[in-house]
Amino acid sequence: MSVILAENLTKHYGIVHAVNNLSLTVQENSVIGLIGPNGAGKTTTIKMVLGLLKPDEGHVEIFGENPWDNPDLRNNIGVVHEKNYFPAHQKVLNYLERVCRIFGVPEFRAREVLGLVNLEEANDRQIKALSAGMLQKFGIAHALIHKPKLVVADEMTANLDPLARSSLLDLVLKLHKEEKVTFLLSSHILPELSRVCDSVAVMNRGKVWASGKLDELYDKFSARTVRIFTDQPEKLAEQVKALPYVEHVSIDSRGISVKVAEGKEDNLYEDTPKLARKSGAKIQGIESESTSLEELYRQIVTQQGEKQK
Amino acid sequence: MKKGKPFLEIFASAVHEDYRFPILEIFAFLYALGTFAFAGFSIGSSGPEEIVIYGLISSIMGMPLFIFLILVFKNIAYGLGGDIERGTIQTYLSYPLKRRSILTAKLLSALGIALLLFFGVQLFALFVLAPGMILPNIHMVLLTYVAHCGYIFFFTGIILLVTMFIKKGGSALIVGVILYFALSIATSIVLFIAWMTGSILPIQIVALLNPSTALSAYYRIQPFDVIDWAPTLTEATLYVVGNYVIIASLFFIAYYYFSRRLSI
Repeated sequence: MSVILAENLTKHYGIVHAVNNLSLTVQENSVIGLIGPNGAGKTTTIKMVLGLLKPDEGHVEIFGENPWDNPDLRNNIGVVHEKNYFPAHQKVLNYLERVCRIFGVPEFRAREVLGLVNLEEANDRQIKALSAGMLQKFGIAHALIHKPKLVVADEMTANLDPLARSSLLDLVLKLHKEEKVTFLLSSHILPELSRVCDSVAVMNRGKVWASGKLDELYDKFSARTVRIFTDQPEKLAEQVKALPYVEHVSIDSRGISVKVAEGKEDNLYEDTPKLARKSGAKIQGIESESTSLEELYRQIVTQQGEKQK
Repeated sequence: MKKGKPFLEIFASAVHEDYRFPILEIFAFLYALGTFAFAGFSIGSSGPEEIVIYGLISSIMGMPLFIFLILVFKNIAYGLGGDIERGTIQTYLSYPLKRRSILTAKLLSALGIALLLFFGVQLFALFVLAPGMILPNIHMVLLTYVAHCGYIFFFTGIILLVTMFIKKGGSALIVGVILYFALSIATSIVLFIAWMTGSILPIQIVALLNPSTALSAYYRIQPFDVIDWAPTLTEATLYVVGNYVIIASLFFIAYYYFSRRLSI
């Protein structure tokens, strides 16, 4: 079942196409990452999905309903905005208790969520007195207070220190596994997303350039790199370079890294022993190098960008 | 647990922000000061009781209405505009509450509390300054208040729309102040033209936006002692009604825009 269904969303700001004919589906109990550079249209997309912005074209459904001014839907959605802003002169705990009353959850839940994000020490502080990182944690606590089924977070880990980021990502995984919460996370910090997301949608220039399960995207877009450990890197590199499916070879003191065309990885595994014998090099090991999400993102943007030219 | 009342919580939250200490206390003091300080000018006026009452009310509400206007600028132009700009409304929109309820909670806080304070002080002043004249002339007292408040409510509606279109607290405040002075200057020019040409059409237009003008003309208060326009009480009342129809339309447009169109 799809929790979020966005079809052909378009939003213009004057002559700028912030989002251009974008379609996106988020399945129940998934963690999907919306990745892209600044200005890709992530925040505009999220705002349209949440019913804060009216799309010029297209339509959105959350849990099968239009999110624009549909208050009942919000009982199931937790939102972390890129820039959190709450009534500044109220105290942290008091405001969260108010939010508990709004959602009809017991007031002790306020202390629970502050504990989840390690913000108990700020209970009695005014919201305006929180640091940027603390405000971010407060925003996350605020989004989780009513135990939503879907959490939509725009740059959730912005302003957080590495330790806080790590524990927040653990929390995302925990909520996903134990409470079956669906997450739509937008970020441009890719290593974080690769830790928690099972799928990603890569956005650029207001469009989704690629989307799907991470494994599928790696298969589709990443040119495989094979690492060969040898005592004679230069000699082996000369032989390998001559293979028709090899795109690039880099050499270092311990061996060579070979970038091969899509689907040709196995051929290199077969050819390497023959080439080693020919060049007199001794093979000490051979393995596929894993591609980071960052590398994958770069591949997608490069390949899709070239297609669009 | 039983679900609370989201509307009341948002209202309470808005009151907390709009009137944090000592804003309410300062404005209550200014209301009282503005009411009683200017009352002296009309006490002792001679003439029919109705005109004395009209003069008294006009004198005691002039300054408090201006103070109310300052609260409109603070709470709507700067307050609501700032809430849209910074994202507090965005936060409120993550709660199970209709957009129109959020706007109502904000307006009740911004205008309701200010009006409650205003009328509380006014009522107290009237019963202190003219205890025997209020109840026998209650219809004129009410009409005078409604007519005098008309222009401020009209202007509040304009400010509300301007704020929603601009969506920035500081800019809405500046535009609002400029608009206020521009309208005041335009009104004076229109009255001057009416006086010079003897035409009453410009005054009738002004009276529709500011119905206290019609009431002043009915009572032949300056400048209507020299301008030849003397509406009957029924006509003056119709101007008041017309003015409130315009105000209702402005607020209807604001609600419609906020609920159906406003991108946050």
